[in-house]
Amino acid sequence: MPNQNQIANPQSAQLPQVKGPQMNDRDYMNDCLTTCKYLADSLNVAVWEASHQQLHQDFLQILNETHQSQREAYELMFRKGWYKLEAAEQQKLQQTYQQFSGYSTQFPYH
Amino acid sequence: MPTIMSSAPFTQAPIPEPPRVITTKDLSYLKDALSWELDAFKKLHSFAQQATDPEVKQCLDKVGRMHQQHYQKLLTHLQHNNTAVMAAIPQTQSQQQQPQMQ
Repeated sequence: MPNQNQIANPQSAQLPQVKGPQMNDRDYMNDCLTTCKYLADSLNVAVWEASHQQLHQDFLQILNETHQSQREAYELMFRKGWYKLEAAEQQKLQQTYQQFSGYSTQFPYH
Repeated sequence: MPTIMSSAPFTQAPIPEPPRVITTKDLSYLKDALSWELDAFKKLHSFAQQATDPEVKQCLDKVGRMHQQHYQKLLTHLQHNNTAVMAAIPQTQSQQQQPQMQ
């Protein structure tokens, strides 16, 4: 019986059935994603360390565009069936809601 | 306001915002970012050539081009005239005193 909580597209037929040491399309996309994520992390530091406004603005724009690219790469990989998602159980969701809504006594703003 | 000015005759108006100067720290981050961007777009160009799926090829190519544009944008900050900006900035008192001490 298939897992009811799984969300995934059928895997693209482009990939070789028996995978060798050579990089395939999925590896290229994975590397693309990792590169963007690593760059975003580094650019984020550059954004908060930049001295003047114009440099800050340019780093911020580059960071934002890098995030967008990362997202596009991820969405393509999802369409190709290279990403599996799993929905959390409804009961866990409710339990967590109960837990965190119970903390409202600690809220300083009313 | 004249009263405040006269009560503190040696203080200059504060520099209103960080001036358009590339600091030593800015330069370090620019060098780092340029190196990463260069590495990224060279790699993505090579991947795009080797990929088989046209959609994958297109995506890798697009991301690669973006990183090259980022490289070019960052490069413009290195063509900046720091000397000219620094010349227009009022020198602090400690810096003004240095020539007198020599």
